[in-house]
Amino acid sequence: MIDALRLTAGWALVWLFGIGVTAALACALRGRPSTPAHVAWTIGAGFFAGAFGITVWMRVLSYIGLRFSVADIAAPLAVATIAMIAWVWRRGALRLPAASFVRAPMARIERLLAIGLSLWLAVRFVLLLLDVVWTPLYPWDAWIQWATKARVWYALGQIVPFGRSEAWFAANGALFFDASPDYPATVPLWQVWSSLALGRWDDALMNLPWWLAAVAFAIAIYGALRGAGVQPLFALVGAWLVSSLPLANVHVAFAGYADLPMAAYFALAAISLWRWTMSRSRADATLALLFAIACLTIKKPGLVWALTLLPGIVLAVAPRRAPRLLAGGIAIAVLGLLVLAQMHPVVLGYRLHLDFAPAWDSLLDSLFLLGNWNLLWYAIVATIAVGWRVLREPPLAPLSAILAAGMLFLGVVFAFTNARAWVTDQTTINRATLHIAPLALFWMILVVDRWRGRLVANAALPTGAAPAAA
Amino acid sequence: MSVPLPVAPVATTPQPAPAAFPGPPLAPARVALLFGASLVACVVAYLAFAVPGRWFSPVSDEAYGVHRLVLSRGTGAIAGDALVITRTAGDGNAVVSVTTDLRAADYPVVAWNATNVPDNANVALLWRTDVEPSRLNKRPLQSASGRLLPLDLHADPHWLGRITGLALAVQGSLAAPLQVAGVVAKPADARETLRDRVREWTTAETWSGASINTVAGGADAQPLPLPLLLACAIGLTIGASILVARRRLRVAAPAIATGAIALALAGWFVLDARWLVDMARHTETTGQRYAGKDSHAKHLAADDGELFAFIDKALGVLSGQQGRVFVVADADFFRGRAAYHLYPHNVWFEPYHDVLPPARELHAGDWLVVYRRRGVQFDAGRRSLRFDDGATLPAELKLLDHGGALFRIQ
Repeated sequence: MIDALRLTAGWALVWLFGIGVTAALACALRGRPSTPAHVAWTIGAGFFAGAFGITVWMRVLSYIGLRFSVADIAAPLAVATIAMIAWVWRRGALRLPAASFVRAPMARIERLLAIGLSLWLAVRFVLLLLDVVWTPLYPWDAWIQWATKARVWYALGQIVPFGRSEAWFAANGALFFDASPDYPATVPLWQVWSSLALGRWDDALMNLPWWLAAVAFAIAIYGALRGAGVQPLFALVGAWLVSSLPLANVHVAFAGYADLPMAAYFALAAISLWRWTMSRSRADATLALLFAIACLTIKKPGLVWALTLLPGIVLAVAPRRAPRLLAGGIAIAVLGLLVLAQMHPVVLGYRLHLDFAPAWDSLLDSLFLLGNWNLLWYAIVATIAVGWRVLREPPLAPLSAILAAGMLFLGVVFAFTNARAWVTDQTTINRATLHIAPLALFWMILVVDRWRGRLVANAALPTGAAPAAA
Repeated sequence: MSVPLPVAPVATTPQPAPAAFPGPPLAPARVALLFGASLVACVVAYLAFAVPGRWFSPVSDEAYGVHRLVLSRGTGAIAGDALVITRTAGDGNAVVSVTTDLRAADYPVVAWNATNVPDNANVALLWRTDVEPSRLNKRPLQSASGRLLPLDLHADPHWLGRITGLALAVQGSLAAPLQVAGVVAKPADARETLRDRVREWTTAETWSGASINTVAGGADAQPLPLPLLLACAIGLTIGASILVARRRLRVAAPAIATGAIALALAGWFVLDARWLVDMARHTETTGQRYAGKDSHAKHLAADDGELFAFIDKALGVLSGQQGRVFVVADADFFRGRAAYHLYPHNVWFEPYHDVLPPARELHAGDWLVVYRRRGVQFDAGRRSLRFDDGATLPAELKLLDHGGALFRIQ
């Protein structure tokens, strides 16, 4: 019981700190008038801001030579949290959280559906929580390259370097070793913080942040959709869709990989950026930047995921010149790939080549036939077909461009690198696709919502009037 | 339409209110009816493609259990409800046979119930008939996730007359014991084909180390995945709806769109319900294994419990000691897990290859953990370790337990 309280308190502080950061940013940097952030967005995105923030603070402590301790980590965070929330509260910019569909005007059937869907979500999260707290660290990579660092850093109270075999042999004990010594530190630092809060090493309970991330992400998606004008029930449906991707659920139940955090941070960075393209609020821009930087510290491909945000920025900043700029960018990227591929270099762990031979059968299996994604990729194909015009127009064009860039990245990786083998054996293909799947779902909901809105508008026009292109 | 959907625009673009239709262009009941018809059409189309013989067969499955099986080649024995084959014969083959008396035309499909089938092995079905008694027929069998897939023989010119014997032939080395629980000859009519598909969709998925990469969504091998069937039925419904409302398409478009969205959500819900049931099963299994245990007891109950017990003792010896720790084992899994349990000691292990560290890199004061690793020999008299490349190292045995040993390099 004490365990649960300590762990809960530790992560509650992180979450509150993140809410404070997100709310204070919105309050301080609102810039030009914009659509106010929905409280669910502040809460959901807040978790991720806090979870990244605490790892930054732990890096600082380690850099200046202070050993990790609950007091050194938590006390400044607690003070900052109280100060930020009090400041925001006094400015009247933070409302108490409430499930807005409870208060929203709804038909009886809609309300029943909303309540039913909420219960359905609750059942899922209870099951996942039990899995997380019961299962000692299980998945392969988690115990050869992620939690290895957490175990050492927790025991030594600071971040110490890991090296590859040759360097390790040469260092004669001054380096540590695991399967991927150069992997980023954010995810292991989550486990270190869990262990510190808990007061001991427990490789089941230390994975609580994976469950919290799943819950917070669902809340953030609900908030982002509400902020985009989507009705409460449909926004809740969006949160359910995002939370029900089977592969994402497995990554919570078998916590310890960095793919789910990668997916969440990339989606939040893209959504924040998209919000900025409409609001031009410095708060949204700052949040997008924060989450994009976080991407770099989650996994090595986070760098490329962060770069896929650029087309969205270009479209927002220079919409008229964007086609030429993007075409130029693509041409330079293709040229760069062609030149690089001649040398068969290893980029971010992938060996590049020009031998185009994607494993189409395995790719189709993964996206359309296996149980990883429910009906997601069928729905994406249908959405592109029916919403072709909508997705290319403002305000969705920047988000569509980000998604297209992300898909292009996956396409290059699985067609032109040694990762093709991982498509055939159904390993990395699904985990890499997980990075973009939640964002694709979010985008799909917006496109479908807008496309259907246009159909309704066209249907309402008198006969003979020119309809808006749907 | 069962799910009311919003028409709210994205953020900034105001849009007109929904149109007031003169009457429902496509009532929810009609969409549901169209969906039902589409689903039936898809299933019928699938059966037309998949049913190898008659749609309605008077015979039922003919099953041959483990006690009817004869191990003609290889080494093995019956354990529980399976014939466990541990080794192939000297020529690299293992053969399991059974005497049968089946009418080939009645049973176009044969399914062997076998697990732990090695990926790299050549596996084949053999059979004899009363028409060509001297001919031994052979067809290769496919496997998925270590299980053999059913084989459709209805088009094979030698699947005729009465089948007098069936056999399973495995060529190749067996990394793990192959388990054969029996063989079933199936009429594979429409009813049975459908029943098989439903059973595959509702099969409890085994959560394993591979689950982090792929979710099968039911049985490992599925000739008709449920997402595909649902997507086809929804697509067909949309096409039919457009056809029905073609004369007033502009007015009916929102209703068709809403219907399509509602059907997609309903299809998603069906898949999600199946998945949630699977999750509940998994959570129950997890609870039975770990609930109420402390961290130490959980590890003893885990897949590598025996290794953990050894490492736990090794940690007792290593407590307070300095020095690097090298871990060797035949299996990647054991090397990685042993190293993981040994942190925060300064551990080295080769994650992906079964190789020993260069002997010259081991110094006095270092530790060596050997767990189920062939090729490392210890001469107690000389207090010397010998690696499989012939290199020797002075060492002291500190612990020998649970298939593992801990040495201190001198």
